[in-house]
Amino acid sequence: MTENRAANDAVMIERMLDAPVDLVWRMWTEPEHFAAWYGPDGATIPVANMDVRVGGSRLVCMEMQTPNGTMRMWFTGEYREVVANERLVYTECMSDENGNVLSPAEMGMPEGHPALTEVTVDIANVDGRTKMVMTHTGIPADSPGATGWTMAFTKLVAYIETQRSR
Amino acid sequence: MTATLDEARLDDTFAALANPTRRAILRRLAAGEANVNELAEPFDLTLPAISKHIKVLERAGLVVRSQRAQYRPCTLDATPLAAISTWAEQYRPVWEARFHRMDEYLHQLQQPRKTGEPDD
Repeated sequence: MTENRAANDAVMIERMLDAPVDLVWRMWTEPEHFAAWYGPDGATIPVANMDVRVGGSRLVCMEMQTPNGTMRMWFTGEYREVVANERLVYTECMSDENGNVLSPAEMGMPEGHPALTEVTVDIANVDGRTKMVMTHTGIPADSPGATGWTMAFTKLVAYIETQRSR
Repeated sequence: MTATLDEARLDDTFAALANPTRRAILRRLAAGEANVNELAEPFDLTLPAISKHIKVLERAGLVVRSQRAQYRPCTLDATPLAAISTWAEQYRPVWEARFHRMDEYLHQLQQPRKTGEPDD
C-alpha cells in the first residue's frame, strides 16, 4: 500500500452493499448497469463500451445539459486487472468520441497534466453482502478547469518539495 | 465550519497561483530566500510590478517577508500548498454520490416484483 500517495492524490472509498458480489461486479462491467449509477446527477451515459479483459479497452461518454447546450465528454482507458468478482483495475483519460486520447494541451490543461488516472475496485463477499473498496489514483479528469489547476499546483508542490529536501 | 475556512483559504491560494510570474517567483524562492531586486531580475517587469505580485503571495500566506530593514528578503512558506495537494479529496463527493446511486439501484434490482433483471 502506498499510503502517502493515497493521502495526497487519491480518493479511497469503502462501502458495504446489500448485494452479492457477482451483482456488484456487473455494476462495473456491464454497460447497462454501469450507466444506471455512474453519471453525475443530471448526466447520462449514452455510450459505455467495455471490453472487460486485461488489455481490453473502454470508452465511456458522459452527457450533460448545460446552459450552453449539450456537453459531451469522452473517457477512454484500458483494463489492467480483471479478476471476476474480486478485482477490477482500469485506467481513464479524456478522449474524443473515437477513443483517441486527448493531450492535456488539447484539453486546455497546463503542461504536466498527467493524461491518465487509475481506478481500482476490490470487492469481497461478507456474509452474502459485498464489501467494496474503490481507489481512484491521480486527479480525476472530469472537471477540465479545476483539474487543470490542480495539476499545475500538484506539479508545483512536487517541485517545491524536491527543492526543499535537497 | 472549517470547510468554509478551508475553501476561502484555497481560493486565496489558487488566485495567488493563477499567474505565471507568481509561480516563477515561488519556484525561485523554493531554491532559497531572495529580495525583490533578485526576484525581479529574470523578468521584464518593473520593481513595483514585482512588489505587487509578492504582496499577493504574501496575502495568500505563500511568501513571508522578513522585517529586517532594507534587504527584506522573501521566503517561501509552502504550508498553503499542502492543502492543495489533498485537493483530490474534493472528488470524494462525486464518488460518494455515485455509490449512493449504485446502492439504490442495487436495491431496486433486487426487489423481486418490479425488475426486468434476470435472476441468474
